[in-house]
Amino acid sequence: MNCAIEIRNLSHLYSPGTPSQVTALKDINLRIGHGEILGIIGHTGSGKSTLISHFNGLLKPSSGTVLVDGEDIHKDKETLRSSRFKVGLCFQYPEYQLFEETVFKDIAFGPKNMKLSDDEIKQRVLRAAQYTGVPEEMLEKSPFDLSGGEKRRVAIAGVMAMEPQVLVFDEPAAGLDPSGRKALINLIKDYHKKTGCTVIVVSHSMEDIARLADRLIVINGGTIAMDGSLHDVFSRSEELAGMGLDVPEVTKIFAQIRERGFDVPLDVYSVEYAEKTILSMLEGGNVQ
Amino acid sequence: MISDITFGQYYPAKSVLHKADPRIKLLLTFLMIVFLFVCKNFFSLAVMVFVTVLATVFSGVPFKVILKSIRPVLVILIFTTFLNIFYTKGGTVYFEFWKFSVTEKGINNAVFTVIRIITLVVLSSLLTYTTTPTDLTTGLERLLSPLNLIHIKVHTLAMMMTLALRFIPTLIEETERIMNAQKARGADLETGSLIQRAKALIPIFVPLMVSSFRRAYELAFAMTCRCYTGGEGRTRMKQMKLSARDFVLLALCLIACAGVIVLNIFFEPVI
Ligand SMILES: Nc1ncnc2c1ncn2[C@@H]1O[C@H](COP(=O)(O)OP(=O)(O)O)[C@@H](O)[C@H]1O
Ligand SMILES: [Mg+2]
Repeated sequence: MNCAIEIRNLSHLYSPGTPSQVTALKDINLRIGHGEILGIIGHTGSGKSTLISHFNGLLKPSSGTVLVDGEDIHKDKETLRSSRFKVGLCFQYPEYQLFEETVFKDIAFGPKNMKLSDDEIKQRVLRAAQYTGVPEEMLEKSPFDLSGGEKRRVAIAGVMAMEPQVLVFDEPAAGLDPSGRKALINLIKDYHKKTGCTVIVVSHSMEDIARLADRLIVINGGTIAMDGSLHDVFSRSEELAGMGLDVPEVTKIFAQIRERGFDVPLDVYSVEYAEKTILSMLEGGNVQ
Repeated sequence: MISDITFGQYYPAKSVLHKADPRIKLLLTFLMIVFLFVCKNFFSLAVMVFVTVLATVFSGVPFKVILKSIRPVLVILIFTTFLNIFYTKGGTVYFEFWKFSVTEKGINNAVFTVIRIITLVVLSSLLTYTTTPTDLTTGLERLLSPLNLIHIKVHTLAMMMTLALRFIPTLIEETERIMNAQKARGADLETGSLIQRAKALIPIFVPLMVSSFRRAYELAFAMTCRCYTGGEGRTRMKQMKLSARDFVLLALCLIACAGVIVLNIFFEPVI
């Protein structure tokens, strides 16, 4: 079966051949299946944003190939253009890309570029608004009159309205307060559940990633340092620390509890699961 | 990549010229450029070329980088050479056809002008290679401060210039980011008629304006919070002080200027 996205031997240099040349990615190999929910973590400057900009052809690899749905996206102009609609990219601070007079028109910008019928555009806008929790009366407002969190949702709806097979978020929760963060993470999770499309989330918040992803990729210095399940990655906490990363706070707490002689599991990555574990232990009566 | 455009073309190094006072550098560059036009014959011009070569050597800026600054004026150089050679008449005629003639005076003029333009460009780029834009505007502000007496707000103008220079790279980065975001939503910037392409710029232009205004407000707010009230009573963290080095540079340049005047008197003018 085709992968949703397949990357073969990808390297990327910025400003090649000049004194300021930077090797942002070296020899990346990656296969992302349909319907996966994947997290990408890495220190600032490790190359996360560079990597995801290759998924829809915004950047051209210095060497290597990018296949979307089994097709090389740089084959010709048509393929490149259609890859923009197959892979939706939602950049960090997407609210700065809003420009239309009304929220409706702004969400419709992507679908319009796909040359869809007016009816189809309207349906998609309404669906995307629903996924992101943008109320219908907000659609006629100016996007510049909204609050920061509302703008963020509208901008995300603008990408979702293209109904891409793969949806990529770069630091979706950056700059939001804890409750806004949580709401946004849940929104992405619900979207994945409802549509079944592939979702990729870049973040350096381990908590957010742990709540979202099934599979985790760690990027360090432009290469893939780890690739595996949450458990695979978070059980190597010392290596992570060496890359300037960390495991979620609850996981650290549980490791300490275990050190004090309690038989708690080590694969606790979310507060919800931690709560459940502790409650069941208390009920089971094996803790005094 | 658009962000590769170097602005102000400062070349970081630790040379005598880098360390010199920006005010002295501005003054001397101005003086040298004036004296380039005082030169009347090849002997006095040679003095100016010598000073320029000396300055280049002591600037710590590689020769290749200096050459790059000449490239933009190449067209002008070729054009003036052409005009000078074919249209200036006088002295021995070397070559003649139809309405054109190549004369001694024409060739002299051409060579003289080419050397003069190249020296001019190298001198002024040495100033920007060895002085950061901030130092340059501060130096200019200090030199022009007498204008305050006739109620021209020199400090405000200099502050505006410094801020504009500071935000050019930021704006370039921002433009790139917004372009990528809209391209990811399928914006097509490359094809279509002229009108279509102009329209395609709206999704980039509007967010750019919005964020520039936001940035300007934030900056103004931050400056107000730090009690910025304009130039009056404001002191500087880096005080500009003339050192012995600056006086030596000044003396050397004055000697060169004197040399130019003397050589102008003793030799026949060619131009
Ligand atoms: N437009 C650019 N020009 C030159 N270098 C860049 C550019 N964008 C990113 N880089 C460099 O590439 C590396 C990876 O950057 P990036 O992909 O943005 O990392 P991350 O998103 O993980 O923080 C960094 O060293 C960064 O300095
Ligand atoms: Mg990034």
